Amino acid sequence: MRVTNMLPDIQYQMQQSQQALATATQQVSTGLRVNQLSDDPAASANMVASLAYSANIDQYTSNASSILPRLQTADSAISSVVTSLNSAITEGTEGANGSETSANRQGIATQVASVLSSVISQANASYQGVYVFGGSDSTTPPFVQASTTYTSSQGSAASPLAATTPLTAGSVTTISDATTGQTMTYKAAAGDTIATLQSAIASAALAGTLSAGTTATINANGQLSIGTNSATAGIAVNSDDAVLGSMTAASGTEVANAYAYVGNSDINTVQVGDSMNVATNLPGNQLFTAGPDVIGSLSNLITALQSGSAAQIGSATAAVSTALNYISEQRIPLDNTISQLNSQDSYLSQEKITLTTQQTALVGINLADAATNLSQAQLDNSAVLAAAAKIMPQTLLQYLQ
Amino acid sequence: MSLSSSLSIAVQSLNAASGALQGTNNNIANANTPGYTREVAILEEMAPVNEGNFSAGSGVELKGYQSVRDELVQTQIQQETQAQSGANAQLASLQQIQPTFTTSTQDIGTEMSALFSSISSLSTDPSNSTSREAVLTAGQNLATAFNTASNTLTSQQAGLNTQVTQDVSQINQLTKQIAALNPQIAELKGSGQDGGTLQDQQDQLVLSLSKLTSVSVTQGDDGETLTTGNGTPLVVGSQSFTLQTTTGSDGMTHVLDQNGTDITRSLTSGDLGGTIQTRDTTIPGLLSQLDTLANQFGAAMNAAQAKGYDQNGNTGGDFFTLPATPAPTVPPATDPYPGAAANIKMAISDPTMIAASSDGSAGSNGNLTNLSGVQTTALPAGQTPGDAYASLVYQVGSLTSNANAESTATTASLVQLNDQLSSVSGVSIDEESANLITFQQAYEAAARVVSTIQSLFTVTMSMGTAAAE
Repeated sequence: MRVTNMLPDIQYQMQQSQQALATATQQVSTGLRVNQLSDDPAASANMVASLAYSANIDQYTSNASSILPRLQTADSAISSVVTSLNSAITEGTEGANGSETSANRQGIATQVASVLSSVISQANASYQGVYVFGGSDSTTPPFVQASTTYTSSQGSAASPLAATTPLTAGSVTTISDATTGQTMTYKAAAGDTIATLQSAIASAALAGTLSAGTTATINANGQLSIGTNSATAGIAVNSDDAVLGSMTAASGTEVANAYAYVGNSDINTVQVGDSMNVATNLPGNQLFTAGPDVIGSLSNLITALQSGSAAQIGSATAAVSTALNYISEQRIPLDNTISQLNSQDSYLSQEKITLTTQQTALVGINLADAATNLSQAQLDNSAVLAAAAKIMPQTLLQYLQ
Repeated sequence: MSLSSSLSIAVQSLNAASGALQGTNNNIANANTPGYTREVAILEEMAPVNEGNFSAGSGVELKGYQSVRDELVQTQIQQETQAQSGANAQLASLQQIQPTFTTSTQDIGTEMSALFSSISSLSTDPSNSTSREAVLTAGQNLATAFNTASNTLTSQQAGLNTQVTQDVSQINQLTKQIAALNPQIAELKGSGQDGGTLQDQQDQLVLSLSKLTSVSVTQGDDGETLTTGNGTPLVVGSQSFTLQTTTGSDGMTHVLDQNGTDITRSLTSGDLGGTIQTRDTTIPGLLSQLDTLANQFGAAMNAAQAKGYDQNGNTGGDFFTLPATPAPTVPPATDPYPGAAANIKMAISDPTMIAASSDGSAGSNGNLTNLSGVQTTALPAGQTPGDAYASLVYQVGSLTSNANAESTATTASLVQLNDQLSSVSGVSIDEESANLITFQQAYEAAARVVSTIQSLFTVTMSMGTAAAE
């Protein structure tokens, strides 16, 4: 073949080797084999899925980290409740001793009341402003003090009360206040409603018949709560109005259901794995008032200690024991979830490492390979340039001079 | 044989050597001129002179110059140039589109993941206003990523549309110049001469035309006839046929032949072919997929929102605002959801309007499962949103890679073909240097003959004079 001018070939070769050099330099500087989609379209497409999964892993890890302390707070609270219930059982067992005097039992009742207060405090436990036993309504304390809350002995009123609920005309409601030593008697006229009763109670408080601050409010459960600012004020209420329920409350101090649950029964779940969702909360009503009622059993024990027989105290103490067993059972799934989260956290960490390795294999380049490629590209480029430098100046004219 | 006839032969020899030197000189002068075809001097032996019983040679004659051409390789170069220009036109556009679909930051895939991460994060504390704000921000970022990707494609399309007009204008100029050369070359050939410089100029113009569009060349008595790939005449003899442009119903520039027939679709290679291919097929295909993804993803998010309740207890409203979808047509439109990616935007700006709740209670996160579920649920087009985006990424990468491979292959092929052409038509300085010496020596030898004959004349003229005595 007749060769006339080698310059175009040399220029092409130089361009090729410089392009290879630029690619090798980019691979070394970025650590990536795929720097643009066209470098490896299939790997780039796989990276989309891999990066999305990687983001999910990060978020699962973040979710687990976020809810773990909350669940640990709940577990810690339940642990304290267990301790408190054990303490109450000890107190109740002591109170059930037939040789205890009434005064001693009153003292024990006070101690159990303190335990109840502690249990309520734990039931209102929160983590960073989130009340862990409030159901999905986690922004307000789930258990609110309702002072004295009365329900029918057969249960709550037939339907939740409202300010507009009409009272039975002619019905009589008496409210005795141990602090003032007076009794307010209210006879409902035709057209009277709960609001009318509320006004009458407010007026009686102003008049001094009832302790200052005594109010009648409708709590979240639709129950009428009558009480004062002071939790220790003894108020006894009796009513023959079927609308309010047949009031047979014990007088003197607060009674069972003195705390109302204002949370809800929702259980939120959070995804911490592709196919793993965990509950982030345990509704307080399920834990403390459903089944063997923890709060109710403590209240009943207090009542029994205050006015019951040794047998009744023993029975109430047994109820607290049942509640203890119940709450201990309820704790098991929670502990399992915490354990799962810890395991999942380790799994996610490992998964992340695996994923990073896969991504490196997809689009990355081994540093040693990159360095070798660069070295090879440099060598090739030098060879092309050296060849060009040797060949280009050579012409016949040089030899003819 | 007389001294006079010998002198005549020597003078012809001087002329022939001088002419050959001129050819060599011209070759050396044009060694680096693009498109120049080397010329060789055609030397021919003169007819012998018969004197009595013998015949004697009567010297040499310079018949002219002949360009050394290889029409086949020239045609292959034209065809390969068309393919290279077409690939380069596509590559240039795709290289600008490619960064929009990266897998690093601010692309649709990344922003989509960020949105689902923010939704998942919200599930840990659905009442948290900061987490709710984060979901809105992530949604806005995703909408912006869709808008940006769509705008990149449409602005590329608009740029290519302008290129069509420019290419057609250049094609018309070139065909006019090629047609003007045809009669001149035909005249030269008709008189038995070589096309020479004019043919070189025409070949260069045809090569420039090949960079712009597919062109077929046929040699005839009246010069070269040029047609486009589908047979539309561009040059016939001394006449060139102007291509025209017009704006079609699709808003794009269309190319018309001299009869007003739309030949846009038949232009497949060269810069114009590559430009039209990218503008009318590649980009609309990508845009259709992008719009489908934007619309169906947005609709899925809206449907998930509608299953839940916002923080105010109201049924969830739309998450994204999408442009109205036109009624289906027969045959189906290329893009069933035109403008979806360009115009998708957030429908809500109030964080409380995220429908996290499944039962209306403010703290419930039950419906976030439905919103998160969009990530793993196949859209009506058949793929999950992530897979649909991955397909788009693959397609952009594959199209760019293919265009790059074709560009590289045609470039390498052109280097080879140019080597072949150069081996036939190219000027070798070394070769010409050798020719230079050869013809120089021929000239010197002829001059010496003249000098010798002159001496002989002198001797002859002195016969019978003192010197002779």
